[in-house]
Amino acid sequence: MFIGHFTEEPWQKEDWPVEWGSGVMAVSNAEYDPVRASNLYHRYIDEKVYAEEMGFDGIMVNEHHSAPFCMNGVANVKASILARVTNKAKILLLGNILPIHDDPLWLAESLAMIDVISRGRLIPGVVRGGGSESLTHNIPPHYNRERFEEAHDFLIKTWTTPGPFRWEGKHFHYRYVNPWAVPYQKPHPPIWVPGTSSRETVEWCARHRYPYIMLASQIDLTQQMYQVYYDTAREVGYEAGPQHLGFMFFFHVEETEERAIEVGRTLTQGVRSPYDPGAQRPKPWIAGPPGIATKSARALRRKMTAADSSGRTRAGARATFEDQVATHGMVVGTPDSVIPKVRYILEQLRPGTIIFRTGDGAMDHESQMRTLKLMGEEVMPKLREIADELGLPGPYDIDPMTNEPVTAMAS
Amino acid sequence: MTNSPAAFTEETVDIAGISVQLRSGGSGEPLLVLHGELGVPDWLEAHELLARHYSVCVPSLPGFGTSSFPDWLMSVRDLSAWVNWFVRECGLATPLNVVGFSMGGWIAAELATTNSALFSKMVLVGAAGLKPREGEIWDYFLNSAKDAFQQSFHDHESAQYLKYYGRDWTPDEAEQVETNREAAIRYLWRPYMHSVTLPDLLPAIATPTLLVWGRQDGIVPISSCELYQQGIANAQVAVMEDCGHMPEMEKPEEFANTVLGFLKG
Amino acid sequence: MFIGHFTEEPWQVPDWPDEWGTGIHKVSNAEYDPYRAANLYNRYLDEKIYAEEVGFDGLMVNEHHSAPFCMNGVANVQASILARITTKVKILLLGNILPIHDDPLWLAEQLAMIDVISRGRLIPGIVRGSGGESISHNIPPHYNRERFEEAHDFLIKTWTTPGPFRWEGKHFHYRYVNPWAVPYHKPHPPIWVPGTSSRETVEWCARHRYPYVMLSTQLELTREMFKIYYETAEEEGYEAGPQHMGYMFFVHVEETKARAMEVGRTLTQGVRSPFDPGVQRPIPWIMSPPGLNSRKAVALRRQMTAPDATGKTRAGALASFEDQVATRGMIVGTPEQCVEDIRYIMDYLRPGIIIFRTGDGAMDHESQMRTLKLMGEEVLPAMRDIAKELGLPGPYEVDPATNEPVTALAS
Repeated sequence: MFIGHFTEEPWQKEDWPVEWGSGVMAVSNAEYDPVRASNLYHRYIDEKVYAEEMGFDGIMVNEHHSAPFCMNGVANVKASILARVTNKAKILLLGNILPIHDDPLWLAESLAMIDVISRGRLIPGVVRGGGSESLTHNIPPHYNRERFEEAHDFLIKTWTTPGPFRWEGKHFHYRYVNPWAVPYQKPHPPIWVPGTSSRETVEWCARHRYPYIMLASQIDLTQQMYQVYYDTAREVGYEAGPQHLGFMFFFHVEETEERAIEVGRTLTQGVRSPYDPGAQRPKPWIAGPPGIATKSARALRRKMTAADSSGRTRAGARATFEDQVATHGMVVGTPDSVIPKVRYILEQLRPGTIIFRTGDGAMDHESQMRTLKLMGEEVMPKLREIADELGLPGPYDIDPMTNEPVTAMAS
Repeated sequence: MTNSPAAFTEETVDIAGISVQLRSGGSGEPLLVLHGELGVPDWLEAHELLARHYSVCVPSLPGFGTSSFPDWLMSVRDLSAWVNWFVRECGLATPLNVVGFSMGGWIAAELATTNSALFSKMVLVGAAGLKPREGEIWDYFLNSAKDAFQQSFHDHESAQYLKYYGRDWTPDEAEQVETNREAAIRYLWRPYMHSVTLPDLLPAIATPTLLVWGRQDGIVPISSCELYQQGIANAQVAVMEDCGHMPEMEKPEEFANTVLGFLKG
Repeated sequence: MFIGHFTEEPWQVPDWPDEWGTGIHKVSNAEYDPYRAANLYNRYLDEKIYAEEVGFDGLMVNEHHSAPFCMNGVANVQASILARITTKVKILLLGNILPIHDDPLWLAEQLAMIDVISRGRLIPGIVRGSGGESISHNIPPHYNRERFEEAHDFLIKTWTTPGPFRWEGKHFHYRYVNPWAVPYHKPHPPIWVPGTSSRETVEWCARHRYPYVMLSTQLELTREMFKIYYETAEEEGYEAGPQHMGYMFFVHVEETKARAMEVGRTLTQGVRSPFDPGVQRPIPWIMSPPGLNSRKAVALRRQMTAPDATGKTRAGALASFEDQVATRGMIVGTPEQCVEDIRYIMDYLRPGIIIFRTGDGAMDHESQMRTLKLMGEEVLPAMRDIAKELGLPGPYEVDPATNEPVTALAS
């Protein structure tokens, strides 16, 4: 079992107008107060350092652009810092938005340096990104998947092939690839991929045997996506297992149930991700510019997220805090009460990787530290026992590339 | 204006490597119509008016309408090379007259810079292709498809706006709009709806040119019209009052008369 | 007086073949041993932390590509780390190679985050870069200066204009510039520019009132460059002063002259920069591909660096360690001797910025730490007295943009 920690690092401000929502491509950066920002950045780094101390296996960092709900415009800045200020935890980038880089050699160089400085603790995950990432960097959305795949192939080649070599692709061109920094981990750092409900992404992931981390907070949708992974794996000729599958969910734990509910509720307040249940979605033409999804993917997603007979969408667009707690989208409670709930998730999904999303939304630093402490002292040790009992190896127990036990780690 | 049904044919033909949705009608010398980035929804009233004097040929450009969209078309220059190929394979007699709308105007201008023997006369309507001196070309991709049509028309009560755009779309129509946006985005993304080199090539154009612009063009600012006029020797200008980016749909009669006056003159 | 510290962070390996020289565009990255690299990166970071502790005002970091003599392929990775692990010093990036970025919005975002995390301590210097950088990133050398200027203008606009705005330039295009991170430092972080002997760069710099830091080790050539700055400033209608002028040179301090000479010599050994005296220059068509520099600039540089009557070039291409020490290109000796030589330089050039280049070449960690300690205890305090006596304000005493005394710092 691999247990990760994630905070989206939202902007926090008491008087953020409700109609500004997530702020994605909607709020001027004139609202960005750098003094507040520096305090927030350091607070989030402090919390990550503490999460490592409490025993998390990985610290996840992500990235969004022109997006107040995620202060990491450049996740690699944060990953660089973590490479030096932590020393055991994996640095889980989920991930770099490959298609929006015009020159992926910068990524190959940056990520290699970060992996080396961290002495092999980097997991450089890759994503395609939502429409707003393409719009802000003015990158052609209609080549999103092509650029994703070509940049991925380029990174892997750069990390595994002694230079110099030439690369004449469709979107990227180099005549002398030979950066003086290659990763610490051999043959290359493990690639993980997060996702919500793109079938094409799950299939791509399964074909590469990369762990797939489902970010949705819905058990049944996640089961369907995992099934796509299992099916694709069989087509490709291997058996997928827990080491290939991950699940992220909101979490808050306190000494009393009452306090947990009261404070946990702040996870659904403040400047929130437009991808979260109950949050306002970005405008459709911002979230999905022409060509970013294929016609069949568009149709499939429309079907998967359609409202059921009760009028609730499966993506839970209108889910309240109570709804989410009731459906295991959020796990909130005392150390004793959360264990069976997480156990339920582990039994239902059988993931080898779980990522706790904590301290997000409008939650304050003290509450985040309290929950991390309880997780380290009481929750995680028990979860590891349950994972052993259920037979849920993580990708550092069973190598997803070979399905062989991991004996000696590269780091 | 007559109410007689439009005499035109719509067919799908394999030309110049593309399966082309082709609308045509009328007789006489050929007149090539190059539509804009929103595609062309129908055989329009303006086409019909022009078809009384010319053999009007309106292909849906690659990726638009039901025309196919191979990967190799990546830019407006590719598109203009394709139009040249299309004209030849279609057997259209050259030089021929051309009317280009917005993106189609940019394509025509690109062609005219490279081949002065292709067009006898050229009409550019609200043409994209140049970075305006004042204002900006409206951003289709930070706005919805509905917004785009609203922005294109000055008069939201005009008949053709209400007929095609100013109402709820059927799922098929919505899908067609999205298909056209997917084509437009590939040609127009970066630099957005303009070329950085076209301004210096415009003096190469020897084709007699008419620039038609709606005074209230909300897509390509009228300052672009001045740039075209300065770049192309002896270019004439016809500014249509109380009119937006699609004069052919907003004021078909006035538009057709303006074009015919120039072509016949 | 602003006193900075610099190490180029060379690759160090005892058995590096002489004929590999600087390794730039020549040695396969198959030679890059990530374990050695991890130790070196972390060593260089330790040294920088110590340099802050002993009293340096700024830590300079630079960047080269496919270049073993400089392990920072991406200077912003190290700048990110320094933003968190240091607390007082300026982080002096000299600098980001603007023309080799296809998408300078990444730079605007990264540098803003670094400035904010450091609480306004970033100096995001900029350079044009030599041919090797353009070739590695496959960026058109012939548009180098245009891209440099457009990227600079874009950065300044992004940092000073509330978003969103559009940018339709010749080389860069954006439809929605509004990153959710703007710098801490207002109106924007100070830009410094390093140079060797490009007249065009000095003039550009003077027109923008940006401090110009001469990296050459030749006093006379440096004075000529400073003179161009003064003249251009006069044309622009302001009086340049020490706050606009910087000078970098090698320094090594030990308790005895003999030891200083013995250990200082290692600065000229190992994997060295091709820009250093006595080092073989890279292949001319790699250094300077067609169009990178104007014909006029090439002719001027040829003239300025032509051999003198004795056959020695002014750029000191053949300079031995002894030559460099004799001509004060390198300052090596006891604290007292070094202070005396440095006083001569300060008096001769009147710079407001001095950057010590130490611990470079084949020098080991212990020697670097020793020299840093002596600098902090004896050399730096003496220099600050001399600077007062000679009237040499640095850019944090007199603002180069206004020539007014700096009263309150943004940070």
